Amino acid sequence: MKLSNKIRWLIIVLGLLGCCSAARAQDVMLLVNKSSQISEISAADLRAIYMGTKTRFSDGSHAMPVTLKGGPAHEVFLKNYLAQRPDEFRAQWRKAVFTGQGAMPRAFDSETALIEFIAATPGALGYVSHIAANDNVKLLTITK
Amino acid sequence: MPRLLPLCVLLCVCLGTLQAQDLSGIEIHGFATQGFLYSSNNNYLSMKSSSGSLQWTDGAISFSDSLTDNLRVGIQLHIYQLGELGGPNLQVDWVSGDYRVSDYFGFRAGKVKTPIGLFNDSQDVDAVFLWILLPQSAYPIDNKSFYLAHLGGEVYGGLPLGRRAGKLNYRAYAGYNSLDLNGGYVKQAADAGLVFMTTPGGKTYGGDLRWDTPLTGFTIGSSALVQSLDGAVVGGSLRVPSAFVYAPYAQFQRGRFYFAGEYRRQPANVTVTLGPDTFQSNVDQRIWFAMASYRVSKNVHAGSYYSHWVDKSGDTSQPGNYSKDWAVSGRYDFNAYFYGKIEGHFLHGTALGYYQNTNPNGLQPNSNMLAAKIGFSF
Repeated sequence: MKLSNKIRWLIIVLGLLGCCSAARAQDVMLLVNKSSQISEISAADLRAIYMGTKTRFSDGSHAMPVTLKGGPAHEVFLKNYLAQRPDEFRAQWRKAVFTGQGAMPRAFDSETALIEFIAATPGALGYVSHIAANDNVKLLTITK
Repeated sequence: MPRLLPLCVLLCVCLGTLQAQDLSGIEIHGFATQGFLYSSNNNYLSMKSSSGSLQWTDGAISFSDSLTDNLRVGIQLHIYQLGELGGPNLQVDWVSGDYRVSDYFGFRAGKVKTPIGLFNDSQDVDAVFLWILLPQSAYPIDNKSFYLAHLGGEVYGGLPLGRRAGKLNYRAYAGYNSLDLNGGYVKQAADAGLVFMTTPGGKTYGGDLRWDTPLTGFTIGSSALVQSLDGAVVGGSLRVPSAFVYAPYAQFQRGRFYFAGEYRRQPANVTVTLGPDTFQSNVDQRIWFAMASYRVSKNVHAGSYYSHWVDKSGDTSQPGNYSKDWAVSGRYDFNAYFYGKIEGHFLHGTALGYYQNTNPNGLQPNSNMLAAKIGFSF
């Protein structure tokens, strides 16, 4: 009986660890308008585009980064790809906006609205936690 | 209650619902702040701060639009009251057309922000800083409107140096700069009996070179500025010939920690002619500060800095020729739009931030100060 209890607890602990591990591994998917010629983007370019220091994709076409206003997908994207917290990202852009050096990326309340915008806007680039089949956006892969 | 506060609150209420709206492509952003200052011994920043003062209100609203992929236009209107400085009139903080040819080269023209050191061009954007007062040795709030922006243009860009060498960012500018008639320098001149007949101003040019090193979060750079000033006063003139200012700096951000430091040498030779008499005053300002901060949690940020100013041309043991300030700060973000700050200052010396008419009985060499601020930005 005691052994069975120990095994039960072991299973629970391992299960919890598994969940934590899955949560850490959580990631977002990068999307771009279907008309874009690119299918992959380097991590450095992605960061530069979202920080406003780069305005074009590697093929020379104009890039228009968009964001979610908040939520887990937004935080995961900032942490994994820009190495920033939401407040840092916001402060960086506020500084650019209020000094006349940049325009803040357009932000959306929901992933649905963000996907619709990307689907309708050539050059738009964004991220979501999941996506159903959509003919007007395509997934981007990230290279080192 | 400060007279600007209701206006700023109204502005926020009206525009708060916009929350950074994009109306037909036009982006609208804004901020408003209300500060409080309480000091021992001396009255600071032209406020009656020894009794506690709320005469410290700031607000701005910006409109910008991307006309093409490369061309963006915008304007920011600003209003401030700092004790007896500033006033109810809206000022154009910046207004510019910005054409970005490529990521390596762009130019903007109009009234554009002037880069000096780490924070000059953003010093009025309270929402992005932990500090209520930036180090006053380098960024004196009572005179910020003089250095913030100039009429003219600048070129800018970023040059990637490869994966192992980081990136070099440059800005170079030229134009015309003028004193704010409601700012600190003009008030100090008025206290000394100099009343300007026209807005004093002069040519300015300079640049900023900033290296984002391969060590993530570590940036070093240097700014240079040349500025002259001429103005007509009742019965004479004021002239400050071109002076060269340079400002090397460094900052490092890693995780929850942030460190920064800056040095500046800023000489000025002021000549005042009144009728047949000529008065000359030379100052050799040596300025530096060091700061550190720590992000305690998602909403809480704390830090401290030391700010140092000394006029090497005078007797540096006299309180009127130096200003040394230890500051301890805390900030709490209520949400993405609202925040509150509190800050303690331990001031030694009387060279910066004091005015004769608010200290008619003279100045004590040391003073402590408590500052608090609430702000809203969208």
